[in-house]
Amino acid sequence: MAVKVRIPGSLKKWFNGHETVFCKGSTLAECINHLDEMFAGIRDQIIDKHNEISSVLIFLNGDNIRTLDGLSTLISTDDEISIIPLAAGG
Amino acid sequence: MIIDNPKSHFILVIHPRILNGGKYTIYQGSEMNNGEVMQYWGKWLVLGEPDYLKILADKFDPLVESEKIPCIKYDRQPSANLGIKECVMMVYCDRRERDHIWKILEKHGIKLKAWVTEKETMEMWLPGGKLMEQWLAGTDFDEETKNKNREDALMRINHILEHSEEIFSPWAQ
Repeated sequence: MAVKVRIPGSLKKWFNGHETVFCKGSTLAECINHLDEMFAGIRDQIIDKHNEISSVLIFLNGDNIRTLDGLSTLISTDDEISIIPLAAGG
Repeated sequence: MIIDNPKSHFILVIHPRILNGGKYTIYQGSEMNNGEVMQYWGKWLVLGEPDYLKILADKFDPLVESEKIPCIKYDRQPSANLGIKECVMMVYCDRRERDHIWKILEKHGIKLKAWVTEKETMEMWLPGGKLMEQWLAGTDFDEETKNKNREDALMRINHILEHSEEIFSPWAQ
């Protein structure tokens, strides 16, 4: 099951210059782990030592995953994930 | 109309009635109170270079004039003190109208889909909130001024929470 991930220009460097990538996983945490396998270091950029999303905001089909189930949020095939820098959310 | 005051960090796309004291926090023709804003108000975020956002603003201006979009605000330049390298456009609306507004954005080629509620934004700007502390760390304010900023933010947010029936007044930009 591949899920589309959209990335703004300022975060493209984390994804080898891609604006759109695909990842696999049934939860957001699994998707992030899969992204980390493809783009080494992504997990550390996104998740802090307390296992919390820190420097970015992550959206599932437009909704902030903080308002869903956080890293445990279930992901389906047609879902789309968007990641933006935390500061852009204010 | 587009309000482009070079002294302001933000460029606004607003309906002319807002210049005469009208509110932009409107749902179905009625001004929203603090409680409603905390429950329903938010924004779609669009990230991009200043030129791209200017093009979008020009396209969206007639939609704001015809009140299909309540209000838009975007950065003149990236907020370097928040560590961001792109400009952000905030397309404000009530949650109950956000799907309709999203279709407009999608029609204009916007793909990255990010909805942030006013409540989430306020939480990030509370004392100890990630954006408040990141912003203060990037200023050369002395500790007294930093604390004054924290106290002012807390006071404004507490007022909103404690006066839910009062008509919402946006913060000065």
